[in-house]
Formats: sequence, structure tokens, C-alpha cells
Amino acid sequence: MNALSDAILDASVGWSVLAAFSVLWIFLGWFWGRRAEALDDYVLAGRRVGLALGTATAMATWVTSNTTMAAPQLALQMGIWGMLGYSLGAVGLLMFAPLAGRIRRLMPSGYTSGDFVRLRYGNTAWRIFLVISLCYSLGWLVSMGMAGGVLINALTGIPYHYGMTVILTICVGYTLLGGFRAVIGTDFIQAILILVGLAFIAVLAIRTVGIETIHSGLLTERPELLSLLLPAGIMFLFNNLLFGIGEIFHSNVWWSRAFAFRPGVGGRAYTFAGLLWAPIPIVAGFVALAVPALDLNVPAADMVGPMVAATILGTTGAVLVLVMVFSALSSSIDSLLAATSILVVEDIYRRHLKPGAGAAHLRRVTSCVIVGLGVLTWALCAPRITTLAELLYFTGAFVASTIWPIAAGLFVRRAGSVGAITGMVLGSAAGILSYFTIGFYVAALVGAAVSMACVLVAMWLAPGKFNWKDLREQELAQGATA
Amino acid sequence: MTIPIDLFAAVILVALAIVIAAPLILLAFWIADVKRGVLW
Repeated sequence: MNALSDAILDASVGWSVLAAFSVLWIFLGWFWGRRAEALDDYVLAGRRVGLALGTATAMATWVTSNTTMAAPQLALQMGIWGMLGYSLGAVGLLMFAPLAGRIRRLMPSGYTSGDFVRLRYGNTAWRIFLVISLCYSLGWLVSMGMAGGVLINALTGIPYHYGMTVILTICVGYTLLGGFRAVIGTDFIQAILILVGLAFIAVLAIRTVGIETIHSGLLTERPELLSLLLPAGIMFLFNNLLFGIGEIFHSNVWWSRAFAFRPGVGGRAYTFAGLLWAPIPIVAGFVALAVPALDLNVPAADMVGPMVAATILGTTGAVLVLVMVFSALSSSIDSLLAATSILVVEDIYRRHLKPGAGAAHLRRVTSCVIVGLGVLTWALCAPRITTLAELLYFTGAFVASTIWPIAAGLFVRRAGSVGAITGMVLGSAAGILSYFTIGFYVAALVGAAVSMACVLVAMWLAPGKFNWKDLREQELAQGATA
Repeated sequence: MTIPIDLFAAVILVALAIVIAAPLILLAFWIADVKRGVLW
């Protein structure tokens, strides 16, 4: 067995690549954000985003470090179903397409998913939702900050804490300078880099090792990974499907895009993003399945992706891997910083602490919250506490419990606060219980099922009669100050 | 019951073809948006 104990890239090369892209992202952040003085310009890019940037930002944001690191890890643990199951994350984007159009129509002046839950279900459901959404956002941010440190360390030998600090600092920097315009502008470039890099790695893997050799290597050493009846894999497939839907339906990362897109763009952008995203985990997972054929020793499961890529590609190719993964990390971290900051500012600061705050004041507070979120994420990433996939799937129960309250709330008048509250609370509790008693791969499944039962039973026993016009709040005066 | 080599290869190659085409599709959207003046 070949143990890959040393980093494939020299640390100085790694630092050079990081420095070059850091300068580029910061410059673009400043350039695109230099005129974003108004709140709507800063947090929602003026609500005029077109199809190209809309598709790219939805796709790039959904290509996380988990796609590039956890998808290969899951392929190696769950085989063909791990790859396909991860790929079903695209269903969340596809299913959100009609919701995005409806959100834009119902709430033309909305800012956050919290706005919707507050207006639709009242304060109790809203506060429960905020706890779920903020915990999830922070979990996602931490999982990606950790992934940055792990990956940069695996590829370049740069210590974990340095790599993690660099990626977080750069993302905070350009998001702070350019706001949402910088986020979606860089997302476009990052989407291109990710796709080209992944295609390059996969083509070289096929040319170097060969699909047939990879298949026969698996058949000899890990035949269970090619099994079409691997029970945990099939369970994972459905679990991931629901997890993906839950993540997208509730998270302000996706709602803020729905608010930011031009009227009529949201549905098409999310549909294209889903179709273009779906093959990415399959291709990334395929690369990991080369482990038996390459006779590699994998010391840590979450390092399998970069290890295989580095073994196949050598030094020059490893630079490409670093660029691709840096892009994947940046495109998600910047989106989370932007979307979570406006969630904190709108739903906590404005609605709980300073109801009279004007747009200009909220614009300044948003900048402070972006920096604060970056610092908090760094502090939580500093002790590397769990593997990436475990951290990611712990939140599955919570987010899956929001699917039915959100979907029913957008389309069904009869859906009321009782169903939403019990759905989120009981769904989360049941999902967490199953996480610890059965496994991570059923948490979202159970959470969504219990939540669905609660919402449907409540609609039947205590039907509401919501007036859709109640979702239209008065627009903030953009020039006003507190 | 394991996935046969033909099906395995087909899944991988179709996925790879979409990944290769995706940047071109995004660039085509970009050009169309710029021409119509609706980039952002």
C-alpha cells in the first residue's frame, strides 16, 4: 500500500496560489461593491440579477467543500448509492424553482426567509425557525472553514489553522467590501473554475487509471461499493434527498437569491442550476472510487478526494485541485456570510432590538455582522472536533423538519401555525433521536416524515385561512437613517 | 447484485459530459444577458 504522508504541493506554491486568488477576489469585491451604498444594493444586488449570474450563483453555492470532499468520502463508504444519493441534492434546487418564483411575487420587498415565517405563522414559529436556521448556517460555515484548513493542509502542507484563517479572512474581506454583488459576481467565476477543474481531474483519472480498471479494482477489493442493494446506501439516498430539500427550502442563502433575482428569473435559474449541479457529486465520487485500483492507503476518510486527485495528477494538477477547492469553499462561505448576516440584521437586530432602524443604519450594521460571523466561525473551527460529513449530517434532522411548514406555507392557505410549530419541534426531536439511535443517514428522513405528519394533521384538525396579501410588508425607505 | 461495467461507465460518462458542457452553457447565458442588458 502507498501511504501518501507528505503534501503533494510545496507550501510556497500553496501560499502563492492562495495569495493570487485572494488578491483577485478582494479586488473584484471592492470593484463590484464600490457603489453599493443602499441596503438593497448591498444585501440583494439591487434585486436585478439576471439568468447567467443567477444560475451560476445557485450552482456554485451548492457546490460546497462537502461536494468536493464529503462526496468522495461517501462514495468510498457507500459506493454507487453514495454518489447518486449525493447527486440527488440537486432535487432541492429543482424543487425550489417554483418556490423562488412565488416568493418573488408574494414578497417583492422581502429580505429573509425569517420574514416569511414571521408573517405567515406568527412570532413563536418564527423564533423556532430562526434557531434552526441560524444553527444550520453556523454549522455549514464551520464545516466549510474546517474543510478549508483540512484541504489546504492535505494539498500544500500549510498548517490547518493557517489555511482555515486565510480562507475565512478572504471571504469576509470581499463580502464586506462588495456585499451580495461581490458574492454573485465571484460565484460566476468560481463556478467556471470548479467545473473546468473537476472535468480535468476526471478526464485524467479515466486516462490514467481507466473506468474498467476502477470497476475491476472495486469488484476485487470492495465489491459492496458496487452493490445496487447496499441497504445503508439506499437509506442514505432518500435521506440525502430530503436533507437537500430541507437545506434549500428553509435557508436564507436560497431565499435571498429568490429576492435578488429579476422577476421571472428565479424559476429558470434554479432549474438550470439543479440540472448542472446533479452530475458534479457523481464525477467527484467517481474519482474517489479509484482508491482500490491505485492501492492507496487513506488515513482519514475526509481526505480521500484530494489524496486521489493528487496521486493521479501530480504537482501541476494539484495546483488545479487547490484552485478548484478554494473556489468551492469561497463560493459557499461568501454566500453564507451574506445571507446569514442579513438574517441576523433583519430578524434579530431590526425585529427584536431596533424596530425603528432605517436602511442606511441597517447597511452599516450588516457590515459589522459579516465581520462578527467571520470571527465566530474562526473560533468554532479552531478546535477540529469531528469529521466533515458527521457535522454536516447532524443538522439534517433540523432542516428537514422545515420542509413541510415552508412548502405548505407558500402554497396552501389552510396551513397554520400549530402545524408549523409542532412540525419543526417534533420533527427535529425525532430526527435527532434517530441520528443517535440508528445513524446519520436516517436523521433527515425521520425529521421530514414526523414534520409532514404534524403539518397535515394540523391542517385537517385546525385549518387556517391565510390571506396572501399579508405577506406584503411596506418597503424600507432606502435612504432613511435610524 | 453489482452494477455492471457498461452501466457504471455510462453513468460516469454522461455525468462528465454535463460537467464539461456546463461552463459553456453559463458563458452563453452571460453573453445573452449582456446583449439584453439584464446581467444585473
